[in-house]
Order: sequence, then structure tokens, then C-alpha cells
Amino acid sequence: MKCEQIAELLPDYLQEALRPEQSKIIEQHLAACADCTEVVALWKKLATLPDEQPSPAARERFDAVLHAWQSGRAENLSTEKRPSLGNIFDWLRSPVGAVAWSLALLALGAFVGLQLGATKSSSQDLAAMHSELAAMRQLVALSMLQQESASQRLEGVSWTRREDRLDPQVLSALKHTLRYDPSVDVRLAALDALSRHAAQQPQVRNSVFDALQEQQSPLVQVALIDQLVEWRDPQAAQHLEKLRQSPNLNPTVRQRADWAISKLN
Amino acid sequence: MLQVRNGAGETLGVLFDRYQAPLLNFYCKLTGDRGLSEDLVQEVFLRILRHRQTYRAGTPFRAWIYQIARNARIDHFRKTRPQVPFEPEMAPAVNPADPAQQQQESELLHRAMMQLPEEKRELLILCRFQELRYDEVARLVGCGVATVKVRIHRALHELREAFHQLQAAPSDSLQRGSPQNFPPRRLGHEV
Repeated sequence: MKCEQIAELLPDYLQEALRPEQSKIIEQHLAACADCTEVVALWKKLATLPDEQPSPAARERFDAVLHAWQSGRAENLSTEKRPSLGNIFDWLRSPVGAVAWSLALLALGAFVGLQLGATKSSSQDLAAMHSELAAMRQLVALSMLQQESASQRLEGVSWTRREDRLDPQVLSALKHTLRYDPSVDVRLAALDALSRHAAQQPQVRNSVFDALQEQQSPLVQVALIDQLVEWRDPQAAQHLEKLRQSPNLNPTVRQRADWAISKLN
Repeated sequence: MLQVRNGAGETLGVLFDRYQAPLLNFYCKLTGDRGLSEDLVQEVFLRILRHRQTYRAGTPFRAWIYQIARNARIDHFRKTRPQVPFEPEMAPAVNPADPAQQQQESELLHRAMMQLPEEKRELLILCRFQELRYDEVARLVGCGVATVKVRIHRALHELREAFHQLQAAPSDSLQRGSPQNFPPRRLGHEV
């Protein structure tokens, strides 16, 4: 049998998925063909590539994430009730519900206004409308960042991502979330949201510098370090050096800080 | 996995213990970057927590987790920047004074793997190291089983060529660095 014909069977032979009679055909060919034999040998040789062993820190890091998730879940179960008609009315009366209603009405008003007064509409009106909508969205974000449930606060963070530029109040709330929110997931989301605005709002970087020195969660610390490396801020190295001096710093974080310093220098 | 889907987070710990090493090796062999690989493994399990409701009973978990692993890597490179092409100086060092010829061959083979285009390297890793069947790999990468087999065949031939070229390379090109650099910590994804 020629190499071209063998080629169809060879991949299955390598995974030992051929019937015995087919395997025999391959082996007869291999006995006479150095080329194909070499390919088979190479496949076997791949098994000699060394395996990496996971570090114990990986499990610790995973446990931290799992713990944060379980805490958030327990919190949700205790605070969230099954939706009922009564709860829906309660929600509509809550600040978040009220803002959401207002937003919906404003959007409806904008639509109707545009339909009825199409001839009179001007770019100034539209700009004012956009500005009002942005203000409402920021209000929703602010309200949700105050909620007790971690999942609602996460939603609040995601509202802030819809803005091109953050209102000072929202920016301040996000900074506070990054530093003090009890949920690791929410803090990570806040960092992600803040990082999107770093180019336009330089004060964001200072909040990351501050958070770096205060964080206790290795997961968040590593995320902050990675963010600093991405920004390549000239001040980052000195803040990382300061972090390295912390006596009880997690070894993985210290290793990441060392790596980051070497990248920034 | 059904227990994880239904809210038993502790069960995910069992899955982590079972799959973290295969996933780490999948990423290490694919990217040559240990630090990035560790991050991506964490990302995979975070995604399992977030998207556990999308897991359907009866779906092979192994195929599902590798689908998540592939997506996590694709998203990572989309967010950062395109992968840097392999350069010879990124390769792990070979110590010619090392008496163990097998070790040297293994190091050359690793270099040859890193010279393959990423799709071919990934296919070889999935079929050879992760022990996925061709039909599982076909579903993962979204092509037919026959196509996977053809690509495996081509990838092996390409690997052989790269391996030969490295074997024939002047010895001074193999003397960079020190042996403890192998396996490489970081090859192509500097931030």
C-alpha cells in the first residue's frame, strides 16, 4: 500500500482506533517505509515532552474565587425572595425601580417627541435628551452600587460601562467599590470598569495605586498589578516596590509584583 | 458537573483538582507561557461558575470544558494583542553538555512544536496530550472528523520538518540560556 493510502488510516492508527486487520496493514507498510515510520516515531516522541505541575498557589487562588462566589450566593439566597406581584410593586416603589421607570418614561417621551415634532427637532434637543439619558443611567448605577446584594452591585458596575465619561459622583462610588466592597467579584468588576476610563480621567490611576496598598485579596492584587503593567505608568514601579515591602504579602502576589517591576523598568 | 450547575460549589473543587493539570498543560504547550497559562486555568473555572446554567445534562464534560478553555484563550488574545510570532530566541535553551540525549531531543521537539502554526499546534495538543478523540476535537474546532485527521497528518509532517531543521542547526544556536529555562516561563505574550 502506498503512503497516500496509508495516510488515511495513519491518524486512527496513532490513536489506536483501528481494527486489528487494519493495524496489521499499517505495520506492514511501516516495516518498509522509513518516512511513515518516522512520523509514527515522532507522535510517540511527543509523549516525552515534560508535563507542567500546577502550583499549590493555584488551588489557593481558586479557593478564594469559590469562597467569594459562595458568599455572594448565600447572600443572594437570604436577601432575594421569589418574584411575586407584590414584590414587583415593592420593587417599582424602590429607588432603583423608580429610576428605571423614569428612564423608560423618558425614553418613551423622547420617542414620541421625535415622532410628533420631527420637523422642529434640532441637534440641540437631541444632545439635551442624550445628556438627560446619561444622567439617568448614572443615577441607576449609583443606586445599584448601594444595594446589599452582590449581584445587584455587579449590575450597578456594569451600568457604568455604558458611559463614555463618568460623572464625578459615579467615579467616586466606583473607587469606593474597588477599595471596600466585600465581594471580590464586585471589586474586580469595578477595576475593569474604572480601567476603561483611565485614558480620559487620569485620577482613575490614583485610585488603583491606593487600592493596591489596601487590598488583601491576592486575586484582586494580581489584577491590580496586571492593570498597572498594562498602563505602563511611570509611577507604577514605586507603588509596586512599596507593595513588595509589605511583610505579610502573599508569595504569588510578591512574585507577580517582581515580574511587573521587571516589565516596567 | 450537574451538582455544580445546581449550586453545589464544593463539587467544582473536585473538578478543579481533576482538570487543572490537563488544562495547565494544554495552555503551557500552546502558549509556552506558564504565568499566562495559570491565569487562563483560573479563568476557565470562573467561567464554569458563571455559565454553569448553560451546561446540559448528557453533554460530555471534557468536551465542554475544552470548549470553554479555547474560548477563554481566544478572548484573552482578543483583549490584549495578537500573538507574537515565534522567534528562535524565545525557544527554551538546550544544554549541549547534557549527557541525556533524550532530554535534548525533547527540548528540540518542544521548539519544533512552537514553530508550528497555532491551529496545528493546538490540534496536536488536543489529540496527543489531552487524549481527545478525533470526533470530539472535530466538534470543538467546528469541522469534520476527516478534516481533523488530514490536519493531524499535515501537522505531523510539518513538525517533522521543523524538528529536522533544528537538529541540523549549528550547535551555537542551541547554546543560548541555561537548561533550567526549560520548560519556558514566557515565550510570546509579553504585556
